[in-house]
Amino acid sequence: MDNCIAENPSPTRAKWRKVAYGGMQPGFDDNHTDECFLEGMVMNANVVKRDMLKVMQDAISISQYLCIVVLVGLVWTYTLRSTLDESSLLYLDVSLLGSGFLVLLLTEEMLSLNLLLHYLVNVFFFTTGLFVLAPIYQTLTRSISSDTIWAVTVSLVILHLFLHDYSGSTVTAPGALKNPTLTSSISLNASVVASVFIASRLPSRLQVFAIMLFSLQVFLFAPLVTYCIKKYSFRLHLCFSFSLMAMTLAFVYTLHRLLFVLLLGLLVFVTVVCPYWLIRMQEYKFEINGPWDEAKLCFDITD
Amino acid sequence: MGDSKRHRILMVSDFFYPNFGGVENHIYLLSQCLLKLGHKVVVMTHAYGNRSGVRYMTGGLKVYYVPWKPFLLQNTLPTFYGTLPIIRTILIREQISLVHGHQAFSTLCHEALMHARTMGYKVVFTDHSLYGFADVGSIHMNKVLQFTLADVSQAICVSHTSKENTVLRSGLPPEKVYVIPNAVDTAMFKPAAERPSGNEITIVVISRLVYRKGADLLVEVIPEVCRMYPNVRFIVGGDGPKRVRLEEMREKHSLQDRVEMLGAVPHAQVRSVLISGHIFLNSSLTEAFCIAILEAASCGLLTVSTRVGGVPEAYDMIVLAEPDPTDMVQAIKKAISILPMIDPQDMHNRMKKLYDWHDVAKRTEIVYDRALKCSNQSLLERLSRYLACGAWAGKLFCLVMIIDFLLWRLLQLWKPAEDIEVVPDIVLSLDEDRGMSQDFQAFNEDHSLR
Repeated sequence: MDNCIAENPSPTRAKWRKVAYGGMQPGFDDNHTDECFLEGMVMNANVVKRDMLKVMQDAISISQYLCIVVLVGLVWTYTLRSTLDESSLLYLDVSLLGSGFLVLLLTEEMLSLNLLLHYLVNVFFFTTGLFVLAPIYQTLTRSISSDTIWAVTVSLVILHLFLHDYSGSTVTAPGALKNPTLTSSISLNASVVASVFIASRLPSRLQVFAIMLFSLQVFLFAPLVTYCIKKYSFRLHLCFSFSLMAMTLAFVYTLHRLLFVLLLGLLVFVTVVCPYWLIRMQEYKFEINGPWDEAKLCFDITD
Repeated sequence: MGDSKRHRILMVSDFFYPNFGGVENHIYLLSQCLLKLGHKVVVMTHAYGNRSGVRYMTGGLKVYYVPWKPFLLQNTLPTFYGTLPIIRTILIREQISLVHGHQAFSTLCHEALMHARTMGYKVVFTDHSLYGFADVGSIHMNKVLQFTLADVSQAICVSHTSKENTVLRSGLPPEKVYVIPNAVDTAMFKPAAERPSGNEITIVVISRLVYRKGADLLVEVIPEVCRMYPNVRFIVGGDGPKRVRLEEMREKHSLQDRVEMLGAVPHAQVRSVLISGHIFLNSSLTEAFCIAILEAASCGLLTVSTRVGGVPEAYDMIVLAEPDPTDMVQAIKKAISILPMIDPQDMHNRMKKLYDWHDVAKRTEIVYDRALKCSNQSLLERLSRYLACGAWAGKLFCLVMIIDFLLWRLLQLWKPAEDIEVVPDIVLSLDEDRGMSQDFQAFNEDHSLR
């Protein structure tokens, strides 16, 4: 029982107690507010103090992924304009696959031959499946107008960026503990559907296969590769991110001036403005805990 | 009682008879005690099924079942201004002097208090529950509460923890909040003439089987206790979504003969279930003021409860435990060891001295007197209080009140107050011998006949 004792102003007055039984306490009104009022209140117990530099470093991961998606969009644009032909696309695919595997080999501490073989077999099946299904993708959206395709693709890519899980990777290495969340699955599916829509606008079957392979490679495996790089060495991650951003900005500059300005503005906003804003808003955080809180169960409810 | 002023009180809430619960019982029993003190009490609530219109209950308690159907969790649809005409009519017909609203979760209460303030009546609000601050529902609820309590005359909370919670949520000055706890009807909850004998110890649990009331804790605690003490059996009364989990637990540990599940227990039979046990177990995760503990203690049971909310203030002879299965098992162990030293009749007599509804009514009367002494304020003075509620919210609230004021003026022109017939005062001759207990028995018979 909590007994809250007040000072006696006079010897005849009993002490005030924080109890509800016994009727009105003699000498005290019902609205008496004691010194121990709100004594049990705890403020901002679980709030994490954030450092500006750390938040900016974390924001780099977001801008890095943004650049990767912009590069994919660039490849799509060039392919649709027939600037990139099938053979260069295929070379691009193979080189990306090779470099991805190289990164995994170099950064993963425990990668047994078995696991590598398992990965290779999966990739082989994946590629074969895509090749077989390419004719279907080619004729999928023939009856839909181009405007609809561009609009839907853009909205799907934006949805993908919003719901993407930037802290980890949806496609995890085997043995990972965290299950993918609902939003990360939705974002992955959105990106796959956007790739299918773009691929269906292309004239030849080989082009369709190449672009599908490229898009899916990037969307499925890029988060995993970047996560491995980040885990391995933070400086490598920073170098990689900056070089990626520079490359993206260069390519977009050659494509369209306005888009370049927009992309630059967006990157600055994400990397610099948002962390500063977050730190400023933290002052207003007011978390209240006390004896009135609903108790949290310390065990998991297994149905 | 020879009191100076006779108040004419309108109690408003979404929660009233024929529903049974803490708020409903509180309103009914408080109204009965206030009637005995010589005041006039009228209750307003929404229609329950076919039960719509005006009803009279024991002691001349008039209840208006306004023909609005509940739409979500026993609450009426919040239409802001839809209830203004009917509330104005009731207030003028019954010549009300004070409006008393109950329960922050009741939309009818908030609307009634808003309209009463517009029309210049004094307003008192009682909060019966604890709420958090962090989730979306609570944030919304707290803002609505801030609006209602920005201009309330006085407020009442049922425990000191509840007062702290309400003051933090609504920003009221603490001097305006009175702590008046609920009480228990000791005449109805009497212990059995003889304790259930035998060397079996029976633990009773009566609560809604939902997450908030700690049904998951029960699922962990019951098998452990049954394993440690072969002579202990459980009686679980109440229904809810977690009942399935309890039944599964029963099957899994083969406790069918040691754990009895009664299903929903009607209010009239709660006492008979309680007196068949020795210990009462309450495992709720949050509780502003637990009347169930008082009812059990009044029936002579030893109570074991989780240390949450206002429970430690309610009674001093409770065995408290943290809301953790291991701790609760330890507490039950301690309770079983001190059980032979407990005398049910002693506990009942003690409870009679500590809690009394007449005392609650007298303290509430003091609050009413203070409320009526508050000064009358014009619309502009009141608007300044609403503006303080927040940068955007303050202006929105002011707009709502101005529109309410204009609608009230329009109603005054359209249906002048002189045209509304005033109800004559009918004073029932109170039978001197008829005690409170007979009133409450009649209340329970009302329910069983329904």
